[in-house]
Amino acid sequence: MTARNSADGFGWVTRVLHWSIALGVLFLLPLGAYVARMEVGFSNFWLFGLHKSIGITVFALLLVRIVWHRVSPPPHPLPSGVAWKDRAAVLVHRSFYVLLVVVPLSGWIGSGATGLDVLIFERVTLPPLAPTSEAWEAVAFGVHWVATKLLLACVVLHVAGGLSRRDGTLRRIIVG
Amino acid sequence: MVKAMMRIFGLSILLIALIGVSATAAPRDYLLDHYASRVGFAVPFGPDTITGEIPVAQSEISLDFRAPNNSRIVVVLDVSGARANFPFATQALRGPKVLAAEAHPTISFQSRDIEVASNDASRASLMGDITIRGVTRPVMFDVGMFRPAGQAQGERSRLIVRLNGEVSRAAFGADGWSDLVGDAVSLDLELFIDAGG
Repeated sequence: MTARNSADGFGWVTRVLHWSIALGVLFLLPLGAYVARMEVGFSNFWLFGLHKSIGITVFALLLVRIVWHRVSPPPHPLPSGVAWKDRAAVLVHRSFYVLLVVVPLSGWIGSGATGLDVLIFERVTLPPLAPTSEAWEAVAFGVHWVATKLLLACVVLHVAGGLSRRDGTLRRIIVG
Repeated sequence: MVKAMMRIFGLSILLIALIGVSATAAPRDYLLDHYASRVGFAVPFGPDTITGEIPVAQSEISLDFRAPNNSRIVVVLDVSGARANFPFATQALRGPKVLAAEAHPTISFQSRDIEVASNDASRASLMGDITIRGVTRPVMFDVGMFRPAGQAQGERSRLIVRLNGEVSRAAFGADGWSDLVGDAVSLDLELFIDAGG
């Protein structure tokens, strides 16, 4: 079991990063939807902090993944034999990278623009990325809302695409 | 402890204090005991209540026990010292979406009129103007006045004035987080005052 990626397979570092980010996203999407609708009180206010903490963790893992793929480039996708499917797979894959930057950054910007501390893990205060401003807050959370819906669509397409392949695509992201 | 004192020793208020027979002919000035006094607030937060206090920066209290309308109460609060019962609420409270402490460092109240209830001399209403975020609106407080424990009846060298009222956050533009926090803010002032001079 090698850490580095090869021409044909994923090393364990890429696989751990992939599944960690996947778990984070699959946890965050419903959590975000829940906290946006719940009646907020003392007993559940901590869920905002949990959402931010995991969101920032996923963002950090994505940055690690980007750097790691510079160090150890991933293998090329296996051709499915259907051109539009291959193009769609690449588009979804690239969209993930964009959205996994846009979603946490827009949340961070929006949270900072409220004037409240962006506190993660109940002890680390992140610096605000925007001035305290209702306009910044509205735009940032608007972008966050749209981007999370696009992210959800990408997750559905990515999972459907992965499960539909019988060419070893799924296997090599699980066992290398 | 104060509540217990009031319960045990406190004699009602305005019946004695404001319309009671007194030899005092002119308004009497009082100094606020800043350490003992408190200005509390409470506002709904979902199923819970955010509570907190705002320190008094300045006050001018002059009571006329024969002619209550000659009494004057001015209280100025220091918004930058406002505290709530959990840290995010304190930050939100002082921030630009609620009290905007940087732009508006004080909240002030100035009395205009006192009305003693016609059917119950132990009750009174204090009318005045309150300025929050630079916006001035009329406000009314229910008033109670008490002697501290151990103070002889009729002695007014130290008094406890209790004011209870309510303001709307939206009326002052202090309506940040209105999706999470209620609009009606209950105010509860407990002022310990000592006769000056």
